[in-house]
Amino acid sequence: MAEASGSNGTRVFTVLVADDNEVAQRLCKRVLEKAGYGVLIAADGLQAVDAALHQKPSMILMDVAMPGIDGLEAMRRIKAEIPAMPIVIASAHSMASDRERFLAAGADNVLSKPFRLADLLSIVQQLASRP
Amino acid sequence: MPGTGPHLSWTRALVRRATPFAAIAAIFAVQALAAAPPVVAFPLYLTVILLVAMQRPRAESIAVSVAAAAAVLLVPAMGGQASDFAPAVLLAAVLVGVAAAMSELTRHSREAAAEARRRLNDVAAADRLLRATLETTTVGLGLADFEGSWTLVNEPLAAILGRRRDDLTRTPLRELIAQSDRPAFDEALGMIRGGDIVRWAADVDQLRPDGSRVPVAIHIARVPSSATAEPSLLVQETDISDRKRADALQGCLAAMRQVIAPSLNVESAMPQLLEAFCGYLGWTLAEHWAVDADHGAMRQRNASSLSSPLLEAFVLAGRGLKATSGSGLIGRAWQAGVVAAEEDIEKAVDFERLDAAQGAGLRSAAAFPIVDAGEVTGVVLLMSETARRMSDEEVTTLAAAGVEIGQFIRRAETAQALRRSEADHRAIYERSPIGIARISSGGELLEANPSLLNMLEHDEETMRATTWPDLLRAYDQAASRLQRPPFLAGVSDGSSVQVRASTGGGSWLWLQLTATSIPDSSGAPEHVLVMVEDVTAVRETSDRLAEALDAQREANSNLEKLDRTKSEFLSIVSHEFRTALTGIQGFSELIRDGGLEPDEVRAYGGYIFNDADRVNRLIGDMLDLDRMESGRMTMRTGDVDINEVLSEAISRAAPATVTVEFKSDLDPRLPIVAGDRDRLIQVVSNLVNNAVKYSPEGGTATLASRLEGHFALISVSDTGIGIPPDEIGHVFERFRRVRSGAAQSIPGTGLGLTIVKQIVEMHGGKIWVESAVGHGSSFHFTIPLAPEAANAMHLRHG
Repeated sequence: MAEASGSNGTRVFTVLVADDNEVAQRLCKRVLEKAGYGVLIAADGLQAVDAALHQKPSMILMDVAMPGIDGLEAMRRIKAEIPAMPIVIASAHSMASDRERFLAAGADNVLSKPFRLADLLSIVQQLASRP
Repeated sequence: MPGTGPHLSWTRALVRRATPFAAIAAIFAVQALAAAPPVVAFPLYLTVILLVAMQRPRAESIAVSVAAAAAVLLVPAMGGQASDFAPAVLLAAVLVGVAAAMSELTRHSREAAAEARRRLNDVAAADRLLRATLETTTVGLGLADFEGSWTLVNEPLAAILGRRRDDLTRTPLRELIAQSDRPAFDEALGMIRGGDIVRWAADVDQLRPDGSRVPVAIHIARVPSSATAEPSLLVQETDISDRKRADALQGCLAAMRQVIAPSLNVESAMPQLLEAFCGYLGWTLAEHWAVDADHGAMRQRNASSLSSPLLEAFVLAGRGLKATSGSGLIGRAWQAGVVAAEEDIEKAVDFERLDAAQGAGLRSAAAFPIVDAGEVTGVVLLMSETARRMSDEEVTTLAAAGVEIGQFIRRAETAQALRRSEADHRAIYERSPIGIARISSGGELLEANPSLLNMLEHDEETMRATTWPDLLRAYDQAASRLQRPPFLAGVSDGSSVQVRASTGGGSWLWLQLTATSIPDSSGAPEHVLVMVEDVTAVRETSDRLAEALDAQREANSNLEKLDRTKSEFLSIVSHEFRTALTGIQGFSELIRDGGLEPDEVRAYGGYIFNDADRVNRLIGDMLDLDRMESGRMTMRTGDVDINEVLSEAISRAAPATVTVEFKSDLDPRLPIVAGDRDRLIQVVSNLVNNAVKYSPEGGTATLASRLEGHFALISVSDTGIGIPPDEIGHVFERFRRVRSGAAQSIPGTGLGLTIVKQIVEMHGGKIWVESAVGHGSSFHFTIPLAPEAANAMHLRHG
């Protein structure tokens, strides 16, 4: 298994960014890497599932509206294999009812787009510091 | 002593028989002793013989005469002198002859006397018989002279006439005849006297001393004159009161039936009935009392005609009275249900209106119930000025009359109710705004009311011949659609069907037919009543209402869809905006926070610009679409040269596009189209941009035009990735960008094709797409030619 790891040999907290929007991909990658996290990219739902199962990221930042299978379906499949995998839904579907819907579907947290960079970092930080 | 009688009589008879012989012997002895000539003794002998001959039977007187003859002959015979003997013989013969003759004479006279005596006896016997007959017969008999004075009357005649015999005898026959019958009597008597007739028979009323009349059958016969008597009249009379009464009762019933039979009106018949009771039965007045509607009391309803103000006062006194069951004469007849009578109302304890009755001189009363089906519905009160005791026959007759009147009243009331109901039905039938038809159980029209004829604008003849059969067929068809039985199979349920029918005036109506079968007395359907209503207006209104409802429902559903689409749209749009803003906000935040390399800043600025541009286009597209869909977009229509538009689109796109080669295949003879040039450019550029966007490097975009009927057909084809079959049907919907595979990175608002479709359709054209994944897509659309161009085309081709 290809575990994502830092250059110093210690295990680096790796975030799988699953988003079909290139701009969003670049933004997250830039922000998270700068904060010292490892970043993996998936451009649609199937890629996300594949990456999650094979590259074992520490957590997943998952968009919902993606070609093929959407983020929620991808999350369901991943959680079926790895129930403990932390998944944060990052979606431009940002009505109150959407938040409830995502949490009910098994999301560990929800990040509404557009987001403040500090919010993104705070959510990731929170999960990274979990025992 | 028992033996003495015959013995004595025998002795007496012997003495009587011996006496003449002794007398003759004595005479002979005296003569012989005196020696007198026989001539001297002869008168003595003759006397004895005469006496015997007159009193004794013939044989005895002969025997006595023979004895006397012998005595006369004895002396001369003993004398022996022939001269003496001859006169003696003569004398003896005389004696015997006298005895014989005398004896015969006596016998004759005796027989004549006996005959006379017998006759007298017979007459006496006949007289006794006649007198006995006269006195014992029930027939009144009397003898009167030609003047009508009685010579003889019997007891029954006196009884019939209510007089003593001697009193009757003093009253001439004519005075006994009631005044009204006297002319007839006088005439008859005159004819008998004149010998024109010998007998006369008639029913007459005779007067009693108390002034009352007695009806009799009188028979007067002329008795011829005799040697001793003048011709006379034999008068025979029979009291026919009973027969008269029976006749009166029968007559009363007959008169009553004559009134009742043809009448169905109680109010007009009742006075006549009351008159009949008075007229036939001799009652002074009659009143009809009937039970109130609430059955609590009886009230006076009618009275017979009245001959005096006092009688009127009596009837008037009864107007306000209420007779209750069980009290008073009326109440008793009511309660008991049988005839009640008071021979003397003064003695009745509960007679109402006693004062008024006495004031009017009324003395007797009777009340009989009017009975219907065992229930007393009224009472007839009869009042009489003369005291009268009702005979059993009269009671029976009145009871029967009460039952007949009761039945009559019921019949009349039923008939009246029936008439009223019939009149009601007739009025409904004639004047109802609803058409009504009576149909036989065989389906033929029997009768159609005026409304129906008016409604269908036909006369009854046409109705019967054609219109009704048509309606019947229409009914059956409608019924079969409703899965109901056909008209003749059973329409007792009063169910309705609606049928279409044409009128005589040629218009069409919607008719609602409601059929109800009317059973006869046995319950079998006798005929069918069909109500026909013109429901055209209702139908049209309801049709319009249904249309309106449908439209409303559709509008509602459209609204709902719109609402759903709108919130869906809002959700998609906000998603699109937020997605675009994610980059703008995130990268601008990075730039703001500083610490970036100049290259980074430039790159992030590019991302920000692109997304901002996209947001701008999105807004523009959305506004365009909104204007088009709400019809607020105005088209500046003019003549447009499609080929020129296509060429310009190529020349505009080509310089910026290095990856795709443009080709054009334009029909140079394509006529001018009618359209908004700017909008058509928008359509073509959108399609061209798509073709470029979805084509890989080295691809080809081809723009073609040609004429298709009265349309210009424009095609924009690419050699791009194509559209998957499951998405091709949705490409013109909003935000339906092809997302799969390589397309996912291609920017766009997702509204472009929706706008294109709207613009084409606003021009009156159509747009469609053909595509194969991996080979490319072709979008085709049509725009109508300009009118003059279309006409030219028409000329050219026509």
